[in-house]
Amino acid sequence: MAEPVRPTGLQTPRSETAAAGPRPSRAQEFREVLFELVRLDGVRGGLMVTPDGLVITSELPPRFPVEALAALAATLGRQLEVGAERLGRGGFRTALFSSDDGTVFLGGSPVGYLILLGDRNVNLASVRLALRKGVDRLHGTWKTPAAAGVA
Amino acid sequence: MGLGSFLGRTWSGITSLVRPPTAAALFRRADAYRHEGRYEEAADLVALGLRQAPNSGVGHLLAAYLHVVFREMGAAKNAFRRVLTLDPYHPRALFGLARIALEEGDYEGCKPFLDRALQYYPDFPEAKALQEMVASWSAPRPAGATPATPLPTERLRPPPGSRDLVLTNSDGTLVFGQGPEERQRQLALQMTQVYRIASATLTRAGLGSLRRGSIESAKDMSFLRTDAGLILSVSFPHETEVGAGLVQIGRLWTELDIKG
Repeated sequence: MAEPVRPTGLQTPRSETAAAGPRPSRAQEFREVLFELVRLDGVRGGLMVTPDGLVITSELPPRFPVEALAALAATLGRQLEVGAERLGRGGFRTALFSSDDGTVFLGGSPVGYLILLGDRNVNLASVRLALRKGVDRLHGTWKTPAAAGVA
Repeated sequence: MGLGSFLGRTWSGITSLVRPPTAAALFRRADAYRHEGRYEEAADLVALGLRQAPNSGVGHLLAAYLHVVFREMGAAKNAFRRVLTLDPYHPRALFGLARIALEEGDYEGCKPFLDRALQYYPDFPEAKALQEMVASWSAPRPAGATPATPLPTERLRPPPGSRDLVLTNSDGTLVFGQGPEERQRQLALQMTQVYRIASATLTRAGLGSLRRGSIESAKDMSFLRTDAGLILSVSFPHETEVGAGLVQIGRLWTELDIKG
């Protein structure tokens, strides 16, 4: 995953924000991406979490430990990003981790991580492909004029 | 209503329209933007708010979160620390510092932050999840210690086109590797951490113990197989299919004849 480009420092407010008006919410795009992915065969649910562990949106069964899972998934996402960088493997994109009972899929993007939970019969290759497409869509949401260095 | 009172109210209404928002209002809006993924705008509002209220714990906490989103970990650490100077037991700041310590490989350093966060706020599921995960990690075995059953690592022949083949114990000690020693050490460290955090994630999701995995980065595809406290990993070119890579690492695993 390409590391996100920080448009400005927190100490330097951009007057362009007020002049340009608010940008459309990325949250809607996040929800749409996740909504499509959790409907794939063998996928039990999923969530989208920011690198700091904030749950942006989730589609998980009731009484699922969302906060705990989000904290672990964000930690895993960061470990994969940092590790890929340290080992000179280029940006982290997707990962899957399987047990005898199911699979956790994780996709990395500048805005955060997409996590999907698959059952034991989930098709690893097709879900990973769909996840990668979802991640590409999230990459697209980051390409704002400010992030491209226009501001 | 008297004319004086009417004019007074009107004037108050007009000035409230042109009065700049308070720091608290800016932080509220910034937090709402953050929840919507509007990080750049949130960052601007937080910067404005902190100019008005430089000692606001809320402001510095939001700044820390946004630095994490932008992967500015040094700045995030400073902002979390600033929150702690204002409130030494702020659970979210303690949790944030614990996560950064984990990311930096400072596993001992992350424990006190989690302990402190949970000391006063025991109902903090995120911190509890990380605390339980870190507590489950075993200390590395002493250098030179041999495994209970010697492994036939001489049978491990890297498949054509593969690289970075390593076998490690789940405590992070290297059993077998190829290539430069420093590279092997880095690979062992990374695979162990991924194994540990992925295992905790699978368990928390109610899916049981980690057996195999694949990691796609821009340049390659890595595969791992694990059982009985051992982790085997190998990398292939990026275009390698998941199924093919898992078959390859499965073959290597069979060569080791590990009894799970």
